[in-house]
Formats: sequence, structure tokens, C-alpha cells
Amino acid sequence: MKSLELLSEYSNYLEEQKLEGKKIIAFMSHDSIPEELIDAAGFIPLRLIFAGNDDLMNASHDYLPPSTCSFAQSCIGYFARKPNLYKFLELVDYILLSNHCVSDICVSEIISDNFNVERLNLYVPYTRNESAIKYYKIELENLRKELENIIGHEIPDQKIKESIDKYNLFKKKLAEIEKLEISGSQKLEIFQKAILFGPKILNEIEKLIQKNREITSNDSQTESNNKKVIFTGCSIFLGDYLMDLIEESGGEIVFFNTWIGHNYISQIYSDKILNSTDDPIDLFLYRFKTNIYGDHSVPDSLDNEISYLETFINEYQKENGEKLAVINHVIKFCDHFSLFQSTLKERLQNKGIQVLNLERDYSRANRGQLSTRIEAFMEMI
Amino acid sequence: MKAVGLDIGSLATKLVLLDENKKMIDWKVNRSTYDFKRVGGDLFKDILKEHNLSRSDVFVMSTGYGRNTVDFANDRITEITAHAKGVQYFYPDARSVIDIGGQDSKAIVMSSKTGNVIDFQMNDKCAAGTGRFLEVMSHALEVPINEIGTLALKSNSPASISSTCTVFAESEVISLFAQGSSKIDIAAGINKSIARRVAGMAKRIGVEPLLVFCGGVAKNIAVKEYLETELGFEIVRPEYPQLTGALGAALISFDNHK
Repeated sequence: MKSLELLSEYSNYLEEQKLEGKKIIAFMSHDSIPEELIDAAGFIPLRLIFAGNDDLMNASHDYLPPSTCSFAQSCIGYFARKPNLYKFLELVDYILLSNHCVSDICVSEIISDNFNVERLNLYVPYTRNESAIKYYKIELENLRKELENIIGHEIPDQKIKESIDKYNLFKKKLAEIEKLEISGSQKLEIFQKAILFGPKILNEIEKLIQKNREITSNDSQTESNNKKVIFTGCSIFLGDYLMDLIEESGGEIVFFNTWIGHNYISQIYSDKILNSTDDPIDLFLYRFKTNIYGDHSVPDSLDNEISYLETFINEYQKENGEKLAVINHVIKFCDHFSLFQSTLKERLQNKGIQVLNLERDYSRANRGQLSTRIEAFMEMI
Repeated sequence: MKAVGLDIGSLATKLVLLDENKKMIDWKVNRSTYDFKRVGGDLFKDILKEHNLSRSDVFVMSTGYGRNTVDFANDRITEITAHAKGVQYFYPDARSVIDIGGQDSKAIVMSSKTGNVIDFQMNDKCAAGTGRFLEVMSHALEVPINEIGTLALKSNSPASISSTCTVFAESEVISLFAQGSSKIDIAAGINKSIARRVAGMAKRIGVEPLLVFCGGVAKNIAVKEYLETELGFEIVRPEYPQLTGALGAALISFDNHK
């Protein structure tokens, strides 16, 4: 219900923006997309973060075989299903193709070719060496030119810098959400809303943090018997029932190590870095270079992720006296996470960390089976 | 107090009654049908009546796919935890379990120190590697499901069933017939196909002896033998392999009410 309200609110927001003459750029990718550049050019960046269902996946099968990434199927489904489940997607002007994964490329091309949505491109290198940084810079400059051609004038450096400052402040505020004593589902709702609306809801986030602090300081602490877990792998998108299943099974997610969650806010610039250059493109390059793990397939990303999870779990245990378990969420046929799931589980288990690899698609038919797997894991830990 | 474990699976509902000393004194099995709640409720009423018990004389723990439909249960537990507990009733040294039920298959590894579950793996929503696969194939072969195992073991040259999807595998069986394969060899291929799939899943979590094979499909002798070949060690099977989930649930019920 809450996700429906949020979607309705978002739909109204986009309609208002369109009436004001703004154009919308949608994209599937998460890492390495310079949303500040899109914002500075006066566009609305729209991340496709909507969970699928059987209907949406089926609607995609005129374009994709069923054995492709469930999220990719759903993204096609958003546009292919008639009547459209998310009417606001009809307002999208451009789709930004990036090579986050093979599915990202295919889906963006299919949407562009079949649903009258113009395509922009941003190809991102998979490595992090000097050549890759040079190449990423060329791609950023090309995207900037493309955007400038559309709006008919240059995007001043100063404007991009202001946008970077704005998003950075927003991400810093969002980082405080992680520390709040609220449920995992509440945190997730805030992250989802933040990623949809961006810095526009900064005040709302500030008020929420303030309100929560007041409630926490007035309430006596009650000990929860829920099993505390870290959630990693594929994000939980808007409208997904997974979070309900985890909480109904007695699980409590204390940390979202996913794009909708910590990965997004981990890309905060320090003041020192922000003030180190007047060229905003340098800041994008810095972020690209230092983003050594995350959703994107980069060399040694698994090593970095395992090391990060282990450190977090150890620190949490020192601070709270509890050992966290890990739920690794793998959307079916999502190559990056599917290929790594066994190794991730084995290596974490060797360090004494319990892991549930939760591979699934968006079908409602396997809700019971999913529920058994999650409940059994909670019983096990 | 006595304890009842009620395991409502997708195909069969199983009930076990334990006395105060945790001794199994009775059990019942019935088809689950579409009405889990009614079938579970009827078995429960019957067992109470036959043993002259009232509801307040027993703890009730539900488990299995339909565990949430049992509104008279004191508590519920997943079949993974229940099977792990149940097999240790018969085999205290058990370290692993393979449970192949009507709708899903599971591999479970237990701690050698505590006997608690330390890892598990379940099949996906796909029916391959489950009792349902066997049911569809026995229909295609026109062999009763309880005979397909013994028939398979007569084969010297099992047919190769490569499809992992039940629907495609059924087509493959028909095409094997068309190519002149015998019913015996196809039956062997079908049983081998289940064993291969489940063993692959079990190996991923490092199952080891003593491994207990339970669930309705454990009654099939061919699947057991082929599983042993795939895993490379002997496995054991309780006398009533279908009952370990219900039994485990009843035992956990005692533990919860200590």
C-alpha cells in the first residue's frame, strides 16, 4: 500500500515537472551514472527501481526470452504492458543506455527501438586503470555534449558543481538514516523514496531524522528478538514483497549493502575532495576510480565485497555483541550476482558467517517456497 | 503431555503422535488435496479420538508447505528444521539429510557438535527433482509410481534424460519411445535424472555421511541407489521416510515446552 502511495506521489511529481517543460531521462544502471550532470542540464533523472511481477515479465516475452534477467524482463514489461502499470513511464523522453551489464544494454536498446523513447549512451569501462579513467572521461564529455545539444546551450561547470554539492549534501543526510533505530522496512522505504525524488526531499528526510531521534530519546529501549541480518546482492525494488517475507519470518535487516541502501550513499565526497578542483568532471572521475566494488562488475569486486562485509560484521559484533548473518539476494539470471553467489557464500562461511543465497524471480508463485527458505534460515541462525 | 507433529506437504499430510517419553505411538498419512486445513484438521481429530485425548493433552507443532493453515497448532516450524530433528531420532549420528517431497527437494547439513542445521539448499520452484516429476513421468510411462523404482533397477543401459524441465522431459520420454528405447531403460533414466539433479544440489552444500534420505520419494529404491552412485557413499533411509518431518516437529514441540 505504501509503495502505491509513493508511486502515485511520484507520478504527480513527474506530471508537474513535465508541465513545467522538464524532460525525463530514465536509466536502468546504478553505478557510474552522473545524475548530477543530468540534473544540472535541467532533466529529471529517473532510475528504474520498480520490482516486477508475473504480468510484467510475461509482457516482455515478445522481446526477450524468459531465461533472461528477471529485472530486465520487468523493465521491458513496464513499457510493453498495456495498460501501462506505471503511467508515468509514458512521460519518459530519453533512455540512458549504459553497460552496467549485458541486460542493461539489451533492455535500453529494446525500449528505445520499440517504445518511441530516444536513446542516449554512456559506456563505462570495467577496469579502473588510467586508460579506463581516460575512456570514462571521454564518455562523460560526450554525454555532456549530447545533453547540451538537446537543451541548446552549454551546461556551465558551476551548475554541475552546484548539483554535485546538492546531491552530496543529500547523500550525507541519507547516511544518517542507516544509524536510526527504525525497522529495515522503514529504512528501505526511505532509501527508495530518496532514490526516486533525489535532493528535492532533503527537508523531509531531515524532519524524519529529527522526529525519530526525539522518539528514540523518549522511549525506553526494548530488546528485539528478531534475527539481525545484512542484506546484500540485488536491491529490493519498489513494490517487492520480499521485505515483508523477511520481517514476517522474524528477520531484521540492519544494513542494506545494496544499491538501494549503502552503495548509493557510500559515494559521498569529503569536503577536501569537493574543494580540490573546480572541474566537476574530475569529481566524477574520482568517484569512478574509488568505486571499487558494488553492483558493477569490476576486477576483484567480490574480494572487496567480502572484505567489506566481514569488517562490517566484526565491527557490529564489537559494538552490539551480536553476530550478523547475510542474505545474498540474487535475481534470477542476473549474471553478476548469480555467478558469484556460491563463492561468496563459501568464503563468508569459511569465516564463520552464515549466508542464505536467495535466488528468485518476481513471480508470486514461489512466495511460499521463498518464505520457507527465509524462515528456515532464521531458525538456523 | 503428549506431542503431535503435523507435516502438511503439497501432496501428502503426515501426522505423528509422541507420548510423554518421546516415543512414537501412532502416525497417519493422507493426501493433502487442495484443502490443507481440512485434511490436517481431520487427521488431528481422528488421532485424538482414537487415543481418547483432548486438545489440551497435546502440544501441536505444524510444519511443511501448509504449516500456516493449521490454526490449532501451538507453533510452527519449517520442514527443514523439522526433518533435521526427525532424522536424528532414528540416526543420532546423522550429518546430512536429503528430503525429496512432492513439490520440492532439500539438502540439509547438520553440525556434528549440536545436531543443529548449519546449511541447507532447496530446489527452485521448478518441479524437476521432486515427487511431482516422478508422478508426471510415471504417467507418461504408464507405470504406477510405486513400481517405477523397481522397474528401473532391471535396466542395464539407462536412457539419458537431459531435460531439466518436467514438461520438456515428458516430451523427451515420448521421443525416446519413438526411438525404440525400452520402458525399463527410460524408467531408469528418469530415476537417474532426479538423483543427478538432487545430488548436484546436495554436493553444493557439502553433504557427508551419515546421510539420511527421507520424504515420499525415498520409498523409491532406484533413486536411493542412483543417489549413492552420484554422491559416492552409502545413504540410509528410515523405515517410514515420509514421517521424519512430522516427527521432528513433534520433538521440537517438546523442546519448546520444556
